Amino acid sequence: MGIRSGMALAQARLVVRGLDVRDSDPTGDSAFLQALGLFAARRWTPRAAPSDPAGLWLDLSGVAHLFGGEQAMARRILRFCARLGFTARIAVAGTAGAAHALARYGSRPVVLCPSGGEAEALAPLPVSALRLDQDVLGAARRLGIETIGELTAMPRPPLARRFGKTLLHRLDQALSRAAEPFDPLIPEEPPKASLRLAEPIATAEAIEQVIGDLMTMLVSTLEKEGLGARRLTLLCDRVDGEEQRIGIGTARASRDRVHLIRLLSAQVEKIEPGFGIEAMHLVAGRFEPLGPQPVESELGGSTPDPDLAPLVDRLAGRLGTRRIFRMSALESDVPERSVCRVPPLQEVEGWPSRWPRPPRLLSPPERLDNVFALLPDRPPNRFTWRGRLHRVRRGDGPERIYGEWWKHGGEAEAVRDYFQVEDEEGARFWLYRRGDGSDGRTGDLSWWLHGVFG
Amino acid sequence: MTYVELQATSHFSFLRGVSSPEELFSAAALLGYPALGITDRNTVGGLVRALVAADQTGVRLVAGCRLDLMDSSSLLVWPEDLAGWSRLTRLLTLGKSRAEPKKGEKGQCFLHWEDVAAWSDGLVAALVTDSADSATEAALAQTADIFGNRAHATLGFRRRPGDKLRLHRLDQMARRHGVRSLAAGDILYDSPDKRMLQDVVTAIRHKCTIDELGFRRERYADRHLKSVSEMERRFADYPDAIRASADIAERCTFSLREISYQYPDEIVMFGRSPQEALERITRELVDGVVPQGSPPKPYRELLERELRLVAQWGYAPYFLTVNSIVAYARSQGILCQGRGSAANSMICYVLGITSIDPILHGLLFERFLSESRKEPPDIDVDFEHDRREEVIQWIYETYGHSHAALTAVVSRYRTRGAVREVGKALGLPEDVTGALTGQIWGWSNEGVQDRHVDELNLDRSDPRLALTLDLARQLIGTPRHLSQHPGGFVLTRDRLDNLVPVEPAAMENRRVIEWEKDDIEELKIMKVDVLGVGMLGCMRRAFDLLAEHKGVRLGLASDEMQKDDPLVYDMICKADTIGVFQIESRAQMSMLPRLRPKTFFDIVIQVAIVRPGPIQGDMVHPYLRRREGKEKPEYPKPELKAVLEKTLGVPLFQEQAMKVAIVGAGFTPTEADALRRSMATFKFTGGVSRFRDKMIDGMIGRGYSADFAERTFKQIEGFGSYGFPESHAASFAKIAYASCWMKFHHPELFCAALLNSQPMGFYQPSQLVQDAQAHGVEVRPVCINASRWDCTIEEKSSPRFHGEDILPLRLGLRMVRGLSNDHAARILAARGVAPFTGIADVWLRSAVPIAALEKIADADGFACFGIDRRQALWQLRGLGSTPLPLFAFADAREEGREAAVALAPLTEACEVVEDYRTLQLSLRAHPLSFLRPDLDGMHILRCGDLARAKDGAKVKVAGVVLIRQRPGAGNVTFITIEDETGIANTILWQRKFEAQRRIVMTAAMIVVHGTLQREGEVIHIIADRLEDHTPLLRSLGDRRFPHRYARCDGANQGGADPRDKLRLKARNFH
Repeated sequence: MGIRSGMALAQARLVVRGLDVRDSDPTGDSAFLQALGLFAARRWTPRAAPSDPAGLWLDLSGVAHLFGGEQAMARRILRFCARLGFTARIAVAGTAGAAHALARYGSRPVVLCPSGGEAEALAPLPVSALRLDQDVLGAARRLGIETIGELTAMPRPPLARRFGKTLLHRLDQALSRAAEPFDPLIPEEPPKASLRLAEPIATAEAIEQVIGDLMTMLVSTLEKEGLGARRLTLLCDRVDGEEQRIGIGTARASRDRVHLIRLLSAQVEKIEPGFGIEAMHLVAGRFEPLGPQPVESELGGSTPDPDLAPLVDRLAGRLGTRRIFRMSALESDVPERSVCRVPPLQEVEGWPSRWPRPPRLLSPPERLDNVFALLPDRPPNRFTWRGRLHRVRRGDGPERIYGEWWKHGGEAEAVRDYFQVEDEEGARFWLYRRGDGSDGRTGDLSWWLHGVFG
Repeated sequence: MTYVELQATSHFSFLRGVSSPEELFSAAALLGYPALGITDRNTVGGLVRALVAADQTGVRLVAGCRLDLMDSSSLLVWPEDLAGWSRLTRLLTLGKSRAEPKKGEKGQCFLHWEDVAAWSDGLVAALVTDSADSATEAALAQTADIFGNRAHATLGFRRRPGDKLRLHRLDQMARRHGVRSLAAGDILYDSPDKRMLQDVVTAIRHKCTIDELGFRRERYADRHLKSVSEMERRFADYPDAIRASADIAERCTFSLREISYQYPDEIVMFGRSPQEALERITRELVDGVVPQGSPPKPYRELLERELRLVAQWGYAPYFLTVNSIVAYARSQGILCQGRGSAANSMICYVLGITSIDPILHGLLFERFLSESRKEPPDIDVDFEHDRREEVIQWIYETYGHSHAALTAVVSRYRTRGAVREVGKALGLPEDVTGALTGQIWGWSNEGVQDRHVDELNLDRSDPRLALTLDLARQLIGTPRHLSQHPGGFVLTRDRLDNLVPVEPAAMENRRVIEWEKDDIEELKIMKVDVLGVGMLGCMRRAFDLLAEHKGVRLGLASDEMQKDDPLVYDMICKADTIGVFQIESRAQMSMLPRLRPKTFFDIVIQVAIVRPGPIQGDMVHPYLRRREGKEKPEYPKPELKAVLEKTLGVPLFQEQAMKVAIVGAGFTPTEADALRRSMATFKFTGGVSRFRDKMIDGMIGRGYSADFAERTFKQIEGFGSYGFPESHAASFAKIAYASCWMKFHHPELFCAALLNSQPMGFYQPSQLVQDAQAHGVEVRPVCINASRWDCTIEEKSSPRFHGEDILPLRLGLRMVRGLSNDHAARILAARGVAPFTGIADVWLRSAVPIAALEKIADADGFACFGIDRRQALWQLRGLGSTPLPLFAFADAREEGREAAVALAPLTEACEVVEDYRTLQLSLRAHPLSFLRPDLDGMHILRCGDLARAKDGAKVKVAGVVLIRQRPGAGNVTFITIEDETGIANTILWQRKFEAQRRIVMTAAMIVVHGTLQREGEVIHIIADRLEDHTPLLRSLGDRRFPHRYARCDGANQGGADPRDKLRLKARNFH
């Protein structure tokens, strides 16, 4: 389409009308590559490693025959990648360096390089296939050295003087004259505990008993690994082959046996034992590093702040995680936009106390009737709210709040004039008029109640 | 007693206020204010603009300032009289002198209460209050203590909870301290509609997006100017606070017009008044300037007349000051020449400030000084660009830092900056704003047009984008910061900071006043423009070379430069003017063969006519037609004939526009001058259109036809953008002729001087060298054993030209990209002992880093050792980096024994690409010569073959894009392309331009399909269609072709092109 990497986006847009542009996501890409590497390590060969932002190394020593030979295996991997939506290129060679070069600069999607044939296969490839720094490549280019073949043909000592050791080292690695370490990915399993039961069980007590045993096993694993669980899943295999599962989450990584058991027990009633359960597994599906926990000193004078996390976990287990949160302030003059929900254990911003606002807002604000107020900027004398007439004895205002014009086009001119008023009974209200009282474009002059002071 | 708004912030409080003084005053006039106080933050920079606006609207200006002190209290101050004003300016100067521009504190002001106390006399003050807390109480006590009965405290509505209570408490607190309350509006903009723009500039100031701005926005509401009755209603509870505002307005009657300027004293002749001294000097010198054979009488008479006028207005010290500056420059061998209206003056000519003979050229002294205008004369002097600093430092030393400072230039938002900043504040991705600004041609002030947006496939209905475009349009013209004028000096006898605050400039040892050129002109303060012109430096170099190599000593004032040489004019008529002063641009060159200059005055016209002003006023074609004799000059009245005869009835110079207004429409000289001023300062007052009715009615009243009046006005209005006074054009023409003379007689010296003066002029070194080669100059490549830092002239010549020897030109090491002068000096010092014998020898003896030598190798500077750039690089890399000379020497010896390595030689095309990359030019071949087989296949003509093509023929030519220019109104775009045989000029009409905007703006190589148009010797291609062939050009080397547009290229003004980091700063394309 005429779009190259390194092109300015604006220029690319000019070249292709309606170009769909997405941000690059190197972290996501590398995470995916890692996952693909782990998959390869489970499925194809025990020794796999990511090579650069877009490549994987698979050590085929002794595994290719399991897949019908190198050619067949390579085709199979290509098909697998195609199903994932990737175009891939594969080279099989005696050294990692040669495979790297051939996969990227080779002529065909699958290149099989016979052992010992590296030098010949690499000769026509450009020097940049050798995993070299930009300045070495730049110097080689300025000297007119273009292919690996030209490089191999040159005497070594002058090359070493001019390019340093890296160039020859990379060349030697590719041509199997120098060894290259391999750092394979090791698949990581989540911490897990399992028990097969001698007799199927069906009662809540029995299940809780087993949960206790499983938890002891899991907590000791977690301790050993220095981990804490953020999510636990309990899997129960029923005799009829059905699987039952319950799960809990924690607000902070934990391996507190009692706490975790309490959280799980609250869910036990959801398990339908059916004809009985014959095996149970406890898996820490999400876990985080958690160092050794200090033993609290009872000699210390000050009592530490109570830890809210267990309470939050229990409430969340009962109500659902989304129903437990804290409110924090946002910097906005528009009252309904000045708050946001944050996770329960996060620190919150307080509201500035300079300009008091009611602790609770009506959402949505309620329309007031029979309002009598002098324009342009006097508080109302009386108003009717929910059918009841309030006579205002004191009032303060207006507090002029402008619409946030950058959020919605309709707010460009909108104005609310807020008043704090007190009625004859001493009740205080926070109400506003739409419009600034002099310019018709700013609002329709209707009155609304937005909050009540306690 | 009516309320007076005393606390209004204009947009000179950068990125806080958003209304211009003009807008504030017209709003105040509509709302019925008798006076308006402008209080910008720590600056009085907007007050002159406000003064002009006040005069126009009839609302009196109460000059003031808001002082933001270090303890974060703020004081409003208004001077009662001139003495108070001087204290205020001294106070601001003190505060600003504490800012260090190096630490990024430029423009800041650091003041404490003690400073205020020291300079408080004659100032009425008001403390800006917020809430009635202890900090306010302390500040109130300070204010009362310092200002006594001149102390006030502002009361202002915030429209926040508890406003009334807060005001009540503040009023009580003020009373307790004996401070009077003052109602104030804290105005940030003239009308409520500006609130969005104000939010945006706040975001720009905080360098964040509007979404992140949060509570950093201006949270106090109602900051627009409200009517007098509304303010009186609001402050009904505080009638005295309203009265206080009226009292202050009554008390502070100081007007900026009271500032009286004093010329600095010149110590010329002890015991004589300046006038006597001036008369004596000039009378002594006058006979010396009379040309041989001419009667001296007119010269003496004119001089006496001028001296009388000078005596009448007391301007003698000014002439003496300029004379001393010029005399200093002369004594240092710095070329200089007066320009502008000063060239009309016999005194300036006699003193040698200008080199235009006013009698010979019949120039009008009235344009410079007139009996009716009490206004200081304006003398601008051009100096050699690179030695101007010496003159500036001399001025500081001689007159003292407290008496000399530069005038300011207020940088204002233009379209590109406005779109970029507003886009950033509204959170548009940078590539979108970048693409939008990329569509803007140069320094446009028009805003982004809808078609630009559509061109980019962007959705105009996107709310953020629409807001950005709208707000950016509003932001255009808003000042963003103060910078220094390149050379406008203000010199005074008394302390300068008694008149105006002075602040340190970004450049060390420079100080800048807060006012612009137009401001000080308005207040009739004298200024001397010490400007730099690159061509003067170039000419000095050329004269030096001429003396050194050909033994001929010449200068700008030499007879050779005064006499008209027909051979030089022949060259000019052929538009063979690459590199010369002024008449080298595309537009100029296309005009030359039609205008066919034969005399000096023709060059004056040529310089003046190819300007946006005359082009927009449609004066060019009538003039050309009349000159070619195709049309008779038309003079409806004899009095106009007198004015316009020498330009064939077409007003081409500013003086003529003035005269036409006087004799044709009955303007008084003062009005005519106001007309001229509005022609010059287009950016403030909306051009000359407000004189329209007066002019046209006046002309019809005097018996001219309505059609003629209309046409004349349109011509004069054209000057609104740009127009030259005749004397200015004449000064430029002088330098232009001198450079043409040099180019014709000594092309090699001229080229060397140009290359050594880079960056300057309109062309890249590549074009300059090609042009020199075309004129028979042998250009020799950069060579480690022959080149000096500058380009030099060598001995021995082969070709002959005009009967004079043309010496070979050797490119200097300065041409090598990235090589530092210091390293080159070390190489040259080592070479002074003995020539180098090889690369190792260079390295060992010069002891410069290998990286520096690599740059010379890349530029093929070791060819004298018989090795190409690759071999040189190979050897250099082998030298290793060991610093020990002994080992290094041993290594180098070993190098000799090292097995020889065969490196693939570069192809010729690659050599050329490398040449361009490292030297910006190639002596080998033009890149397009390698593409010629491909181009022949496409039936593309060579540029050089166009001369043989027929008028009206359909042609195709290809070339590297050199220049894209859009003069004046921009309905035509000139594109100059170059191939191995020369250049071709194409013209793209606006309609076609829009369709091919992208190619014009981005392509490095194009193929032009079009129609050939021949007018005499000028050939243009009227482009029909352009094709982008940049990829073909890129295919040449193994890397990208290092393409550059020429220096005068207009399309990339005002923003760097992201694709080319090496771009030089292009110059104004007008």
